Amino acid sequence: MIHSTILLAAEAAEGKGGLFDIDATLPLMAVQFVILVILLNALFYKPIGKAIDDRDAYIRTNLTDAKERLSKAENLAKQYEQELAETRRQSQKLIADAEEDAKRIAAQQIAEAQQEAQAQREQAQRDLDQQKQEALQSLEQQVESLSRQIVEKLLGTQTVS
Amino acid sequence: MEMLTVLNPLNLPLAELEVGKQFYWHLGNLEIHGQVFLTSWFVIGLLLIASILATRKIQLVPAGFQNMMEYAMEFIRSLAKDQIGEKEYRPWVPFIGTLFLFIFVSNWSGALLPWKLIHLPDGELAAPTGDINTTIALALITSLAYFYAGFSKKGLGYFGNYVQPVAFMLPFKMIEDFTKPLSLSFRLFGNILADELVVGVLVLLVPLFLPLPLMVLGLFTSAIQALIFATLAAAYIGEAMEEHHGEGHGEHH
Repeated sequence: MIHSTILLAAEAAEGKGGLFDIDATLPLMAVQFVILVILLNALFYKPIGKAIDDRDAYIRTNLTDAKERLSKAENLAKQYEQELAETRRQSQKLIADAEEDAKRIAAQQIAEAQQEAQAQREQAQRDLDQQKQEALQSLEQQVESLSRQIVEKLLGTQTVS
Repeated sequence: MEMLTVLNPLNLPLAELEVGKQFYWHLGNLEIHGQVFLTSWFVIGLLLIASILATRKIQLVPAGFQNMMEYAMEFIRSLAKDQIGEKEYRPWVPFIGTLFLFIFVSNWSGALLPWKLIHLPDGELAAPTGDINTTIALALITSLAYFYAGFSKKGLGYFGNYVQPVAFMLPFKMIEDFTKPLSLSFRLFGNILADELVVGVLVLLVPLFLPLPLMVLGLFTSAIQALIFATLAAAYIGEAMEEHHGEGHGEHH
């Protein structure tokens, strides 16, 4: 630092230069800087900023789009599940109804069949009874004629005589 | 100069230290510092080339250089947003960003590039921000910017800022308008020049290895100074546009 002070003193003696030598560099540098701001604004900040903003917008729209689609898909899934549950309930009811119907029909048919069988059995019994009666009757007649014949054979002569 | 020859009696090829010597250009009857403009044009060229490379073909999915520059852009945006507020920051992004990028690239070009290998007839090439003219220019533009921000937002009501929160703050607030650019310019100028001088003196005394840690520290300070300048500029602009109705200090988070 000794050197610099010495040099400073030396140049102050020369009357020109030095560390705090303010001259036309200042306004020209200011103008140059303002031009740089304008140039960089056109070349750098605007296009890059636009790129960043565009990307942000792109990502945001995609994100909202995706969210919308997701909620839509979830709604659809819920709806399908509901429909599925509804259909399952209906089918179960249908099966239960059908089973009940089948049971009822079976019971009815069994009852009918039993009735018929009963009726047929009764009919058969009746026929049997009748035939028995007839057989007994004819048998009685035959017994009578036979017994008469026997009596005739045994006592025929006497009676005739 | 005699002192230097005393320190270097054997006339070894050691580095020389030149401070306050300017490479004058004459523009009409005006004098300007040529070395400052040469390096600043280099910095500006670098920034423009980087911008053109980054935006040559912009893709939805960024790759390579576009990615890096987008990172820079988001950094600048968040810096401006933090200081100025979500609602107002967008028009100020180019100004704050250019302040940051210009100062940052200038500082690092001074710290990283061996400018001194290029010999000028007078003076030497160094970071443009190590020249008081550059830093005062940037600080004055910042002052104009925050005045513009205040007046365009509130009109003459901007003067209401000077009596907030109590009337006797008026003189302090007026002094602040002078101290703001002063502190901005001298902070940047002092840090960059001091860094260059420290490295220069060390190189003069011990030419090998020893200056390296200090150079690394210089890179760190250079980056920090760029960040501080941009952040303070944004903070001043945000302060100028701040609403004062009621106890409304909760607008900026």
